Amino acid sequence: MSDLNTLSITEASKKLAAGEITAVDLARACLEEIKKRNTDLNAYLEVFDDVEKQAEAADARRAAGESHPLLGIPLAIKDNILIEGRKVSAASKILENYVASYDATVIKKLKDAGAVFIGRTNMDEFALGGSTENSAFGVTKNPHDKSRVAGGTSGGSAAAVAAHMALGALGSDTGGSVRNPASFCGVVGMKPTYGAVSRSGLIAAVSSFDQIGPITKTIEDAELLFNTIRGRDTLDSTSIDESFYPKRTEKKVVGFPAEMNIDRGSFDVGGVGQKFKETLFSLKEKGYQLKSIDLPSLKPALAAYYVINFAEVSTNLSRFDGIRYGLSLKGKNLFDDYAKSRGEGFGPETRRRIMLGTYVLSAGYYDAYYGKATAARAQLRKEFEEAFKSVDVILTPTMPTPAWLIGEKSDPLSAYLADAFTVPANLTGNPAISVPAGTVDGLPTGLQLTAAHGDEAALFSAGLLLQ
Amino acid sequence: MISREEVLQLAELARLKIADTEVAGLQKDISNILEYVGQISAVQGKNQGSTLDQGSSRSNLMREDLPRAEGDTMGGKEESLRAAFPKKENGYNVVRKIIQKDE
Repeated sequence: MSDLNTLSITEASKKLAAGEITAVDLARACLEEIKKRNTDLNAYLEVFDDVEKQAEAADARRAAGESHPLLGIPLAIKDNILIEGRKVSAASKILENYVASYDATVIKKLKDAGAVFIGRTNMDEFALGGSTENSAFGVTKNPHDKSRVAGGTSGGSAAAVAAHMALGALGSDTGGSVRNPASFCGVVGMKPTYGAVSRSGLIAAVSSFDQIGPITKTIEDAELLFNTIRGRDTLDSTSIDESFYPKRTEKKVVGFPAEMNIDRGSFDVGGVGQKFKETLFSLKEKGYQLKSIDLPSLKPALAAYYVINFAEVSTNLSRFDGIRYGLSLKGKNLFDDYAKSRGEGFGPETRRRIMLGTYVLSAGYYDAYYGKATAARAQLRKEFEEAFKSVDVILTPTMPTPAWLIGEKSDPLSAYLADAFTVPANLTGNPAISVPAGTVDGLPTGLQLTAAHGDEAALFSAGLLLQ
Repeated sequence: MISREEVLQLAELARLKIADTEVAGLQKDISNILEYVGQISAVQGKNQGSTLDQGSSRSNLMREDLPRAEGDTMGGKEESLRAAFPKKENGYNVVRKIIQKDE
């Protein structure tokens, strides 16, 4: 049984429960695959040296009578989620040897369930990017084509799952960082409703957007991981419980933005557009009604997203000052200590965004940029709430193209434009999932479903139809 | 295009030391990006204040103000926090003297 690493979490869980395999078998199968492929793919920044010990402990817990679907399941964890006593760097030089002093709430929940942590995965530095090319520790390559990116920012997590170096993974999604790499690597990636999962112990990028989400091989696995990590937490003041949003009843209606007019062909994203159309019509055959919806505020959404992103990044990252932890360089005075530590500790994209955030928040520009972005955001949220009065889910592509070549988008603005489909859900706080939709030009691609606040159930049920 | 001086001033405000060779590239990139996101100024409507108010929580989740016990997720972390401090001497964390004589 050398291919245990290719199982889904749900399949492996059944075999574990039936006593057909052990957690140690599963862990070894993943470690074996990592040995073969990780040097090449650079999905893991670190593979923990106690994986087999963790698996033995899980087997012992099962022998003692415990049972949880994640007991003994090997998972990969993005390098911005804290596991006590282990390094966590957000793929940045400024935190290169930083050791976490506590467990993130999601980690505590996974430890209680008995999951095994294989290692920490590569990402764009501080979750700023969309291709994992902004990691301080080298790009993650796409397991389906090593000349291409794995997507980002959770590129290492998606590549680890796609290459069967883990059964599932956690990523974080600020503007598509779970869904984008899932689409590029041909796996499932889900961003929960804002507040559904605690961010305590997640290194903050943009606090009004960030959510931790699962990256898995199947919809069922995503649902299982989500149900394990969700819930209100006193350590994250924005977290909510399941009853926060009212329960909805299914309408069997799928919406699509009117801008993507499927008849007049004005929706031009090549092969991905074709997949989108085919899938939309296949849902019709499965008994769903299709409805074109007006979301005029999608137009300024990307600009609003980036203004808010820059603003919050510049404030969140001001905590890295070279004084209390992380890289600490000495200059000729205190100002120099800060500027040197931050200048050398942060990579080029991070520095650029901090400067852009400083610009849009400065006194003369605040209203024209940040103020207007918050107005656009509020308007988009209203339009989404209105749309979900008549539809269960909205279908769009996840990314406008399959994975691009490493180095292809060296101009930062061209990389930002690729986020057009994913950022709206972060602006509005709605849950969204990327589901594999076959291949375009031989490369995986994904389609995105977005649901009403708190209605992850609609994502899973519609997602199963696409799977 | 934003000027060289503006880039240097932004870097200073952001407490970032940047290399002289980076300035021209930053002028170009920052200008391009600002031009793109500048379309936001055409949006009608007023500043909505803190964006978190638009999010899920309309009120903060509060917790009891109690000391954390040993073994609690956030309790008993003094040693590991101290260990992360870059410079230590005789059990003290060392920082630069910030009140200095006028030069």
